[in-house]
Amino acid sequence: MFNYIARRLLQIPVVLFVLSLIIMGLMQLLSPEQRAAAFVTSDKQIENLDLIIEKYHLREGFVVQYKLWAGEVLRGNLGFSRISKEPVLTTIRKRFPASMELALAAFVPIVLVGVWLGTQAATHRDSLLDQALRVVAIVGWSLPTFVVAIWLVAWIYGGLGWFGIGRLPSSLLIELAGGDVHRYTGLFTVDGLLNGRPDITLEALKRLVLPATALVIVVSAGIMRVMRSSMLDELGKDYVRTARAKGLAEKAVVYKHARRNALIPVITMAGPMLGRMIGGIVVIELIFNFPGLGEWAAKAALQLDVTTLLAFVMLIGLIMATANLLVDVAYVIVDPRIRYE
Amino acid sequence: MKKHLFAAIVLAALGGAFAATPQDTYVYMQNAVFDSLDPVQAYDGASIGVIENIYETLYSFKRDVPGEYEPTLATSYEVKNDGLTYVYHLRKGVKFHSGNPMTCRDVEYSIERILVTMPGDSGAWFYGDALTGYGNDALTEAKKALGENASQQEIDKFLDAYWQKIDDSVVCDDLYTVRFNLAGPDVAFFAKMLFTAAGVVDSKWAIEHGAWSGTKDDWKDWIGVDLRTGYLHNHASGTGPYMLVKWDDKNIVAKAFDGYWGEAPAIKNVLVQAVEEEATRLEALRRGDADRVDVNDWATVNAKVKQMAGVKVWSDPAWSPAGAHVVFFNFNVQGENNPYIGSGKLDGNGIPRDFFADVNVRKAFAYSLDQDAIYNDIYEGNAAWYTMALPPTWPGYDPDIPIRKLDLDKAEEYFKKAWGGKVWEKGFRLTITHNAGNTVRQAVAEMLKANIESLNPKFKIDVVPLQWSDYLKAARAKSLPVWPLGWGADYADPDNFIHPFYHSEGSLAKRQNFKDPEFDKLIEYARTLVRPDQQEERFAIYRKIGRMAYDVLPNVPYPRQSPFIVTRDNLQGVYYNSMISGAFYWKDLSKK
Repeated sequence: MFNYIARRLLQIPVVLFVLSLIIMGLMQLLSPEQRAAAFVTSDKQIENLDLIIEKYHLREGFVVQYKLWAGEVLRGNLGFSRISKEPVLTTIRKRFPASMELALAAFVPIVLVGVWLGTQAATHRDSLLDQALRVVAIVGWSLPTFVVAIWLVAWIYGGLGWFGIGRLPSSLLIELAGGDVHRYTGLFTVDGLLNGRPDITLEALKRLVLPATALVIVVSAGIMRVMRSSMLDELGKDYVRTARAKGLAEKAVVYKHARRNALIPVITMAGPMLGRMIGGIVVIELIFNFPGLGEWAAKAALQLDVTTLLAFVMLIGLIMATANLLVDVAYVIVDPRIRYE
Repeated sequence: MKKHLFAAIVLAALGGAFAATPQDTYVYMQNAVFDSLDPVQAYDGASIGVIENIYETLYSFKRDVPGEYEPTLATSYEVKNDGLTYVYHLRKGVKFHSGNPMTCRDVEYSIERILVTMPGDSGAWFYGDALTGYGNDALTEAKKALGENASQQEIDKFLDAYWQKIDDSVVCDDLYTVRFNLAGPDVAFFAKMLFTAAGVVDSKWAIEHGAWSGTKDDWKDWIGVDLRTGYLHNHASGTGPYMLVKWDDKNIVAKAFDGYWGEAPAIKNVLVQAVEEEATRLEALRRGDADRVDVNDWATVNAKVKQMAGVKVWSDPAWSPAGAHVVFFNFNVQGENNPYIGSGKLDGNGIPRDFFADVNVRKAFAYSLDQDAIYNDIYEGNAAWYTMALPPTWPGYDPDIPIRKLDLDKAEEYFKKAWGGKVWEKGFRLTITHNAGNTVRQAVAEMLKANIESLNPKFKIDVVPLQWSDYLKAARAKSLPVWPLGWGADYADPDNFIHPFYHSEGSLAKRQNFKDPEFDKLIEYARTLVRPDQQEERFAIYRKIGRMAYDVLPNVPYPRQSPFIVTRDNLQGVYYNSMISGAFYWKDLSKK
């Protein structure tokens, strides 16, 4: 097990290297002017296009540009993000916790709801409940995230005045800017408690409800369908028949035996999903005014901020590799028959 | 018991149905993100909208009176030496946010810091033009003057001379008198000093935190640097009524400065947030979580905002933005294998390069543009007419010049006159470009196409959207025959419009190869009228240029959306000044 994990960890740098080559390579398809135009933010700066090209070495070839970047990275300098107007690392330090908080707040209910409903659908196969859940899944699946998000903002927040948008209310943002509340983790829910300020935690939790709900509505459907079919598979297997024949209670058969085994495909699916969610959910971040990694990276892609993009891709590579590793570890926990040599 | 607890938590979480921001707090949700809080670097509305409340200039804009100014860090000024010297007398007893007193040293430091750094993507160039005579940073100018292969010795000599000019351009006569020695007469110098880049920075504090030392010792390290990596990028010590508490990503928090020399503002806390999704901003406004929000256009205001309870839309037909939009004609199109002019000949399949040099063609195009449709349909009547390429509220604007409206009979008449009748006989084909995504410019192009093609089956116009960078590149290369584009003010002087639009060396007129000695002579003469008592004469010249432009028609100005401000209805002290990025200063606000 240990060897296996170590081997997987060693693969990560290779993955990151290849990723950086791909991104840098794709950038070469654009002309120096197009890349320089990405630096222009007002009509006035157009006159300086040539200066910009020279300053950022945009006319140089792939190797020179890659070397310049890699040299800085190896020195621990990920560069300056033109999108967030600060060093890339500073932005990651600020936005990673926001994305993490949102991803975790949504991930746990998504999995719980998906697994629970999937189990219900499977055990009540072809019943009215199953049919109803199928419709729910299709609706949830087909609803674009931004539609759900805008509905929630307009009806629940705008119409009823419940919960709120942003990460914290403005009064707390103003207070926090004063610096009296120490940011240990960047997760407001946790920092509130660490500072002895449960009000901050409560407000932060309140503001996670709507974006998490939007994600639960849209994303759980997938988990639910996978869970249902995997559950049906398991319920048809011999060991289930044996268990029933032994006279085990139906509850024990379903929840202890079959469900545990049925979880494997769900874990396979949920791991990368969590990774992607930590990487940021652009639409949710934009609509709920919840500045996380996704919105930052999306803007970097639109404006061709190579420095930011490279750092982001590296980070995603890292997160995904970690998520996949966690999936492998989770297999062992759920199914003791699985062993890594 | 458990159930009760749960219900209590739910109720607490939901909170009150309506939550207004506190009485002494102003929350503004805007659509743009901030670029930099360093006054020298900032060149975008979002950043300047914050900086103008933190830093102050020697004079500043007078609330809602366009073209009028009031003494701020200075108490008076004099123009001497035929406009080559400006002397400002400074206000005494002014303190920076750090507690340091403001003196001439700070003014000298702040202006020289612009001239030393001269960031390429900032407004520094117009200070350089005025004070050292150089529009670029020292190293770029050295390269331009000496070529690529200059020896280090030559470069050093050039840099020394450049530094001397910087050092000589701002001089402290005493602790409270600052003298600016200009490189040449500059009618706009006073206006330039109103821009936030000339905001006075706390020099002692800045030097302590690693900014330029204010001396020749390390000036070379600061030439052309990107100030977004410096300390002043996200820290501030100015003299303004508000001090920066923190810039955290998409939030900027400021609070009232207790030691402010002027009247203490009513609003004590300010939160400016970049919220890019409009629907989110609107809901926050409805809920009272924001006191002011940016709304993209009048259509949204009319459809959604006006119905909201407790919300106020501020607008006034007299308001106009500090910009102008026009359709440009190219008098001599450049570029080999130019795709926008077809065959390059007047043979029905293209246009000759000097097609638009004939004023009849330009007039025919002008009469084919349906300005009423732009005004009524695109802007739903919430727009300002433009008779010339200058904001209508600015001095020098002449509202009495007629505007050519859609008149297909006249268009036909001029097309028949053009090129001795050959245009009408042979027909032509050309391409009108616009930047992709700009729906107004697209509509302008489509309108011209539809109206002109309806006149004669031999007239063919293609409308092509270009990516922003390609669009600007093509315009710079002078390869576009007809293109709509806008221009925003850098500083509050009409010269900032008249010169670029109408002088043959102007940055816009240059791209259309427009050259008219009459215009050049008048604009150059106007630039010599630097004394305060000569300003009326200067503005009269600009009105004359407007009238000449109606006949010569180098470009066709068209209407622009008129400005509006959307706030909660308890916010007071709102006004609109086109040269203030936030439309008004925070210090003038209060709540009912």
